Amino acid sequence: MTATQSRPLVGAALNRVDGPLKVSGQAHYPSDFDVPGQAHAALVQSTIAAGRITRIDTSAAEDAPGVLTVITHLNAPRLDRGPMTGLGASPPPPLQDDRILHHGQHIAIVVAETAEQATDAARLVTAEYQADEAVLDLDDPRAQILDNPWGLDTQRGDVAVAMASAEVVVEGTFTTPDNTNNPLGLFCTLAHWDGDRLTLHDSTQWPSMVRATMAQVFKVPEDSVRVHVPFIGGGFGNGLRAWPHVILTVLAARTLARPVKLVLTRPQMFTSVGHRPEGVQHIKVGATATGELVALEHRSLSAVAMEDDDYEPLAAGSAVAYACPNVLTRDRQARLNIPNPTSMRGPAEAQGNFALESIIDELAYAVGVDPLEIRLRNYAEINPEAELPWSSKALRECFEVGAERFGWSQRSPEPRSRRDGDWLIGYGVAGVSYPWYQAPCQARATISADGNGYVRSAAADLGTGTYTVMTQVSAESLGLPLDRVRFDLGDSDMPIAPQAGGSGLTSALGNAVQDACRQLLDSFLTLVHEDEMSPLRGCTRADVAVEDGRIHRLDAPLEGETYADILARHNLTELTADGASDPGKAADLGMALAGAFGAKFVEVRVDADLGLVRVTRIVSVIDGGRILNEKTAGSQIVGGTVGGIGQALFEDTVTDAGTGRIANATFGDYLIPVNGDVPDLDVVFVGAPDRGTPLGTKGVGEVGLVGVAAAIANAIYHATGRRIRSLPITLDTLL
Amino acid sequence: MTHVPDVQTTGAGAPRTVSEVTTTLTVNGEQRTVSADPRVTLLDALRDRLGLTGTKKGCDQGACGACTVHVDGKRVLACLTLAAQCEGREVATIDGLGRDGEPHPLQKAFVDHDGFQCGYCTPGQIMSAVALLEEGRTRTDVEIREFMSGNLCRCGAYPNIVAAIRQVASEGGSDARL
Amino acid sequence: MRAFEYVRAADVDAAVATVTDDPFASYLAGGTTQVDLMKDGVLAPERLVDITRLPLHGIEHGPDTIHVGALTTMEELAADPTVVARLPIVREALLLGASTQLRNMATIGGNLLQRTRCRYFRDPSVPACNKRSPGSGCAAVTGAARMHAILGVSDRCIALHASDVAVALVALNAVVRIQGDQGRRSVPLTEFYLESAEDPVAENMLAHGELITGIEIPLLPEGARSGYLKVRDRVSYEFALVSAGVALVIEDGVIQDARIGLGGVGSKPWRARSAEEVLIGAPPAVETYRAAAAAALAGAWTVPGTAFKVELAQRTLVRTLQNVTEVSS
Repeated sequence: MTATQSRPLVGAALNRVDGPLKVSGQAHYPSDFDVPGQAHAALVQSTIAAGRITRIDTSAAEDAPGVLTVITHLNAPRLDRGPMTGLGASPPPPLQDDRILHHGQHIAIVVAETAEQATDAARLVTAEYQADEAVLDLDDPRAQILDNPWGLDTQRGDVAVAMASAEVVVEGTFTTPDNTNNPLGLFCTLAHWDGDRLTLHDSTQWPSMVRATMAQVFKVPEDSVRVHVPFIGGGFGNGLRAWPHVILTVLAARTLARPVKLVLTRPQMFTSVGHRPEGVQHIKVGATATGELVALEHRSLSAVAMEDDDYEPLAAGSAVAYACPNVLTRDRQARLNIPNPTSMRGPAEAQGNFALESIIDELAYAVGVDPLEIRLRNYAEINPEAELPWSSKALRECFEVGAERFGWSQRSPEPRSRRDGDWLIGYGVAGVSYPWYQAPCQARATISADGNGYVRSAAADLGTGTYTVMTQVSAESLGLPLDRVRFDLGDSDMPIAPQAGGSGLTSALGNAVQDACRQLLDSFLTLVHEDEMSPLRGCTRADVAVEDGRIHRLDAPLEGETYADILARHNLTELTADGASDPGKAADLGMALAGAFGAKFVEVRVDADLGLVRVTRIVSVIDGGRILNEKTAGSQIVGGTVGGIGQALFEDTVTDAGTGRIANATFGDYLIPVNGDVPDLDVVFVGAPDRGTPLGTKGVGEVGLVGVAAAIANAIYHATGRRIRSLPITLDTLL
Repeated sequence: MTHVPDVQTTGAGAPRTVSEVTTTLTVNGEQRTVSADPRVTLLDALRDRLGLTGTKKGCDQGACGACTVHVDGKRVLACLTLAAQCEGREVATIDGLGRDGEPHPLQKAFVDHDGFQCGYCTPGQIMSAVALLEEGRTRTDVEIREFMSGNLCRCGAYPNIVAAIRQVASEGGSDARL
Repeated sequence: MRAFEYVRAADVDAAVATVTDDPFASYLAGGTTQVDLMKDGVLAPERLVDITRLPLHGIEHGPDTIHVGALTTMEELAADPTVVARLPIVREALLLGASTQLRNMATIGGNLLQRTRCRYFRDPSVPACNKRSPGSGCAAVTGAARMHAILGVSDRCIALHASDVAVALVALNAVVRIQGDQGRRSVPLTEFYLESAEDPVAENMLAHGELITGIEIPLLPEGARSGYLKVRDRVSYEFALVSAGVALVIEDGVIQDARIGLGGVGSKPWRARSAEEVLIGAPPAVETYRAAAAAALAGAWTVPGTAFKVELAQRTLVRTLQNVTEVSS
C-alpha cells in the first residue's frame, strides 16, 4: 500500500497540533484538573538522612482547621511494592516502618479541605528521631558497592597489554555532580476512588506503568485503574516511576473515600521524583603516536539510594564509541542515604560522554592531532562490540557537515591563542553515539462514519511533539489530510505504550501507529473483499493506495471509494484495528541497532580575569534517522543543547555534609540556563532512515544534550589552557 | 473591599479566628470577586477560586516566571502577589489574551516558531513577551534575551522564543494590544 | 491557633500606629520578600498592613538630590530620566538586580529591607540559624556557602545582603527617611545597616513599627564617572557572586573623589572606604586599582565555600574601575 499526498506529511516542519492550546493556556496539565469534593494534601518530610522515627506527634495537625486525616507509618496499611518495570524495580512503598533512609523522606501526608490548610497543618507535625550517621559520600568506606549492577560491563582484547605497549597514554578522573531534572511543571497527583475503581491525574511519562503499579500496590485489577495525563509540564525522567507521593495520594483518597489532590512544592521536586546521580569516572586511553587508539579503560562509580534501583551505566557507552581493539568498561554503584536518583535526560551518557570526549580531546593535544581529525581517525565503521554493521550511522557526516558550518578550519591549534579584549576564545568539539533503546508498543486506529481517523495509544507527550508527529504518521498511513486525523494519548485505557523516555518512544509508537493504520486498511479491504458493490473487491493492501480518504486501485486509479462510502454501505458507524510494534533483535537482523549520532561544535568566550564563561555558538549536527518533523525534532535538539549548557556550566545539586539535606532546592539557588545564556543554536539533521525499524526513525530526545558538556569543556581548554574535569565548570574554577 | 471580622471557622480541631477578605478585581475585563484567607496569592486565587488555570505555578517562590500576569498593565509574578492586594486592579492573564476570538500575534508567532515544548512555562513567557513589546525592549536579540530572562524554560525553547518575539516586534508588534 | 488579618492602611500615620502597637504586625509592600518568607514558614506575622496605596510613590527632582518615595518600584526608578542621565550606577544596579516582573513589584524601600537569600535561614527545618533562632548556631558556616558573605561576618552568621541597588546607594551616600510613632528622622544608608558579625538578628536600625518613607539620593557631579558590574554564573537573573559599584571624579589626571560599594560580599551593602582612601589623590592606573581592591578585601572572613570571593571581588573591583576610567591592563 502506498498513501500518497499532494505534499508529504511525514518529515514536514509542521506546527504542533497542540500549539494553539498551549499558547492560550488551554492545555490542561494534571494540576489544572479538579474533582468535585476533592481534598488537598501536603507532605511531611524527614529532617534526618538515616535512623529511626522514635516519636511522631500528629495531634496538633489533626486539630488544625480543615484537617481530615494525617497518615504516618503508625496508621498506614501495609502495601506491596509495585511491579518490576523495564527500568528496574518500583520504588519501595512509603510509610511502611519507622526507618529513615534519606533526608526529605515522606513521613506523613496531611489532608485538609484546602491546600493552605494542609500546608499549615503539615508544619504542625513533629517528629523525633534516633539519628544514625548517614552515608553520603561516594568514597565513604561504609557504602555498599554494587558491582556491575546491570551486567553491562564489557571487555574485549587485552587492555593491560595494549596499554603497556601504547606510545601515548592519557588518563584522568572526572566528576559529575548530582543534577536535578526540574521540569517546570510541579508534579501533581489527583486521585479519585469510586468503589474499587481508581481514576488518577498524574504527572507521569508512563501512564501504563502507573496503572500497573497502582493495581498491584492497592490490589485491584489493572482495568479498574485509569491514569490521565494529556499534558505534562516536562519530565526529563522525573515521570518514569510511580513515586511514593503518588501512592500516598492514592492511599489518602482511599482512606477518606474522597478525591485527594497533591501538588509537590519546588523543593520537593528535588527530593521526591529522582535526580541525576553524582558520579566519579576514571578513564585511560592508550594510543599510537599518531592518535590511533589501542586501549581504552573506563571505570565509573555513581550513587544510588539505599533500597532502590537506578539505571546509570556511565562507562558502558565507551565500548562502542570508537574502533579500539582493546576495551574495558566497569560500572559500579554506591548505596548512599540519598533520595533515589532516576534517569535524567541522557542518563549515564551525559556523564560518560563528558569523560570520554574530554579524554579523547586530551589525547588529541597530547599527540598533536586536530581534535576533529582524531575522532575520524578512530571512527567505528561497525559496532565494535557486536562486530555487526550499524543499522544506520552518519556520524562522519555529522562531523564533516558540522565542521563546515562551524568554520572549524579557522581554529588556531594552540590553546589560549585567540583573544578579543578581556575575552579568550576557544573552540571545542565532541561526538555522540547515543545507545539504541526501544520497547514494545500498541496503538489503535479507527475510521468513523464521516471518514475521519482517530488513532490513539497510552503514551505521554512531554513536549517532545508526540501528538504532532503521530498525527503526521497516522495521516500519511491512513491517506487522510492532517485535519481529518486526530491522534490522542495520555490515557491508560488506551492501548499500552512504553514510557516517553530513553529516546525510544517515537520509533516504538510510530511503528505501532503505522501498523494499526495498515491493519485498519486491511480491515476495510476485508470488509469489501466479497462486496459486489465495491470497486475494491478482491484487493489486498498491495493493490491499493489511499488519497484524501479514498482507497483506489493502483492499476486503475479511477476505481475506488472512500472510507465513509464503505462504512455507510455496510451500516457501520466505525471500523477499528489494533497495531503493535516489537523491536527486532540485532542477531536476527544481522546488524547492530543504532541510536542517534551527533557532533557538537562549540565556541566559548572566557573572561581572562573574571573567569566568566559565555557560550557564543553551538552547531549540532544530528543523525536521527528519518526525521518525522523538522520543526519539533529541531526543538528537541535545541532544548537538549540548552540542557547541556546547564550541565556544563550551572547545574549542581548540593547536599549538606552530615545531614544529607539538599542545600539549594529552589530555582533561585539551583541554576538552570536562562534566556540570556543561550545564543542562537544551529541544528542540522543528516543521515538516512534507519534500517532497523520500519519507520526508519531514531529518537532524538536526548542526543541533543549529550556531548555539550564535553564540547564546552574542550572549548574552555582551547580558550584558556585549563583542563577542567569536574562539572559544572564555574568561574571560581577558572580564576 | 469588606472585611468579615472574626468569622468562627470550625474545622476538625479547635476553632480559629480567621479574617477572610473579599476582594473585587477585574480579570480579563470581567469583574470578579474572591473571598478567601488573605494569605491566598493572586496565583492561587486565579487557579483555584476563579477557575483560570492558564497561569501556571512553577516554583511558588518568585524564581521561575511561570505565573507571570499583568496587573494594571505591568507584568508581575502572581505567586508573590496577594489576591487581597489586587482590590480594584486590572488583572490580565493568558486566558484572556487575544481579541475578538483572534489570537494575539505573539501567540501565533510562538506556534510558528515552536517557542515551547511542554508548554508549561508558555503562558508566563507569552505574558512576559506581551509586556516586553510594550516596554519597547525588543531592539536587539541581546535585549530580548536579557529582558526575558525572568522566565525559565526547562525544555530549552529560548532561541525559538526569541525568534517569535523578534518576528512580532519587526512587524510592529509593540502596537499589538491585549 | 493564631489569627491572621490583612488590613489596608488609610494613611502613613495610621499604618505606623497599627504596626507599632502590634508586635506581630508587619508592613506589606511589593511582597517579594514578605510573601516568599511567609510561604517558607520563616515569617509568620499575624497582621499584614498593606501600605501599597499610601502616597509614597514617585520621584521629586531637586538640584542636587532626588527624593524617591519608598513605594516607587525598581522599574520606575530605573526609568527616571535623571537616574538615566546622572546616576547610571543606580540604573545598572536596578536593571541587573531582578527580572522585570520583580522590578515591577518590588519597591525601593522594600528592596533596602530585603532579607538574606541564605537557604539555611529560609528553611525552618534547619535548626542552626542564629538569625532565625538566636543562639542556635550557623549551619551555613559548615554548609554550602557559595552565595554567602565574607565581610562584616563571623562564625555566628555569614548571611549575605543580596541587594544590588543598595550597593550603589551606599556608595552614593543616600539617606533613608524614616517615620515612626515618635516622629520622623533621616539616616545615612551607610549607618542604616548593621553588620551581622556580632548580632545576626538586627539587620538595620529600624525599630519595630518604623517605616521607610523615602530615600534621598545625591546626584553625582557633572563629569563624574560611575558604573556597576555584577559577576555571576548566569548572564542574568541571579544574585551576585560579587559586584562592584563605583563613582569617581577625576580632574587633572588625579582621582579627586571615589565612592566604592561592593555587593555579594557583605552582611550589609558594603561601602569600601579603605579602597576609596587608596584611590583619592592617586592617578587612575591599574596598580592603584589593585591596591585599592586589596585594601577593600583586607578584612575578609571566609569559609571554604566563599574563599574564592576574596580574589574575585578584587578582580571585579579592578575591572569596574577600569571600565569607568577606560584604563586597560
